[in-house]
Amino acid sequence: MNIIQRLLIGPLDDLFERVFNFMPALLSAMLILLVGLVLAIVTKWIFQRLFRTIGLDGFLSRTGTAELLKRGGVEDSPAVLISKIIGGVIIVIFTGISMRALDLPVVGRLLERLLFYLPNIFVALVIVALGYVLANFFGRTALIASVNTGIRYSGLVGKTVKLTLIFLSATMALEQLGIGSGTIIIAFAIAFGGLVFAISLAFGLGGKDIAREYLRRKFGEEEKEDEINHL
Amino acid sequence: MIDPGLGQRIAEMGEADILVGIPSYNNARTIGHVVRAVYAGLQKYFPEKKAVLVNSDGGSTDGTMEAVQEATISDLESVLLQHRIGSFTKVATPYRGIPGKGSAFRMIFEIAVLLKAKACAVVDSDLRSITPEWIELLLKPVIDHKYDYVAPLYHRHKFDGTITNSVVYPLTRALYGKRVRQPIGGDFGFSGELARFYLGKDVWETDVARFGIDIWMTTTAIANGFNICQSFLGAKIHDAKDPGADLSAMLYQVVASTFDLLEDYHDVWSRVPSSAPVRVFGFEYAVGLEPVSVNLDRMIERFKLGVRELSGIWEKVLPSDILKFLKQVSEAGPSDFRIPDEIWVDIIYAFAVGCHNRVMNREHLLKSLTPLYIGRTASFVKENWESDAEDVEKKIEKLCTIYEDRKAFLINNWR
Repeated sequence: MNIIQRLLIGPLDDLFERVFNFMPALLSAMLILLVGLVLAIVTKWIFQRLFRTIGLDGFLSRTGTAELLKRGGVEDSPAVLISKIIGGVIIVIFTGISMRALDLPVVGRLLERLLFYLPNIFVALVIVALGYVLANFFGRTALIASVNTGIRYSGLVGKTVKLTLIFLSATMALEQLGIGSGTIIIAFAIAFGGLVFAISLAFGLGGKDIAREYLRRKFGEEEKEDEINHL
Repeated sequence: MIDPGLGQRIAEMGEADILVGIPSYNNARTIGHVVRAVYAGLQKYFPEKKAVLVNSDGGSTDGTMEAVQEATISDLESVLLQHRIGSFTKVATPYRGIPGKGSAFRMIFEIAVLLKAKACAVVDSDLRSITPEWIELLLKPVIDHKYDYVAPLYHRHKFDGTITNSVVYPLTRALYGKRVRQPIGGDFGFSGELARFYLGKDVWETDVARFGIDIWMTTTAIANGFNICQSFLGAKIHDAKDPGADLSAMLYQVVASTFDLLEDYHDVWSRVPSSAPVRVFGFEYAVGLEPVSVNLDRMIERFKLGVRELSGIWEKVLPSDILKFLKQVSEAGPSDFRIPDEIWVDIIYAFAVGCHNRVMNREHLLKSLTPLYIGRTASFVKENWESDAEDVEKKIEKLCTIYEDRKAFLINNWR
């Protein structure tokens, strides 16, 4: 009897007691999570209505942001997307609070680290998004300007500008996340230096005809100029 | 915009009957001749009127304003029969604001309003063909015939003024119903009332402040019901153009201003069914024009480069059949290179609609028009290589009718 008591009933009693003691914390954690979910849904709905009222989609469509999002594979309209992000942030915050309510030291430490890390993720995402928008804009600016100047490899110029800016923003984002910061900066410097070197080589060796043509235009016989007065 | 020193000087002048404005930027070589022609014109045709000449300068570093002040007019007395009764004052002053012709004009309008000028004229500072008669022709319709706006009419080389001939003139005519042949001519006459009207508009931080001022002035005058006419001025010969002048920026500013006006005056242009001639003053005569050199091969190459690299942008505004046609033209040999009028008109209307719908950044969209414009110009030059000026004018008139016929596309797609 004593053996059964010690081997089976004792631990089971202990387990039930622990579960019983843990139940209020679990219930309150679930309640907090539920409140968070409801609050996220309501907030998302309110913000969607608000953005629709102030015409956010129209404004972002005029600035070209909506187009960029579509090109990036985002099907939602900017108003819906931002509302979803706000809802998501609320869910994350309430999940953290509910986890804390469980009062588990390991979970607490993990959450603390995660919460401290969250701003870095947010900033990194903003850097990547901004980098993508700017890369598209300046890539297109460079492409059009090059075509209008008559540069034969305008497409390459536009793509180089775009990729450089995307690479730069990705480097900055990774540094923000603390992922191999030193290594990435060195990698970027090497890659960028390599790119410049490759372009120099391409221009000097592979593109010697272009170089010759350029130098001829610059210092040699003048090409026949237009005298049309366009206005 | 007017500094206190200049304000004081204007206050001392009181009122003026006539104001002639000359916008300038590094035109020391030619502006002296323009000032002398203006003075001679005022002396010869308006000797009894109190006149003020305003040089509105964009910060020239070559002594343009000094050239205005030093332009000697005493030696003109020997060639003039009349003696001046009214006063003549010269004002040379730098303008403030965005660098550009529009900002220079703004200062001229301000001075005209302060002086309560009854009739005004503006002439370019790089003109080599201006004569005293230009002043009479630009001011007389305002003073004697109560017109509010006098647009110039020139004889130009058949390949000159291609933005005017292929975009601005036909589009303005189709949209607003007035056949103003040189809507961006640069030399205009206008009433004091119209100067006041211009000054009251809030456009001075836009492209109107730059190259867009000419089309803005013409369109504003037409769309707001001012009395307009034209004066035949003879040949228009400029000083050699600035080789650094960026065609793309020039085209963008003119087309952007034209398209901006579509937004402002939708109620006007959407109700105009057809166009009507505009009265012309002056005696038309044939003039000898300097030959114009054109590098056709390079223009075609620029067009092909545009088709290769910018089709991705164009497909946002142009229908697929036009894109297909442009690709075919770019692959054809130089002898088959041709962009017909109908295609060109469709392109311009499609860009106008695309700009209105803000399908992408406006500057990107309109600057991507440059290779198409160069291609169209090359096609026009090639087609008219052997034609005389009269034939070319007929072809421009035909283009205008196509713009008018296809205006329904613009009306139907404008939402």
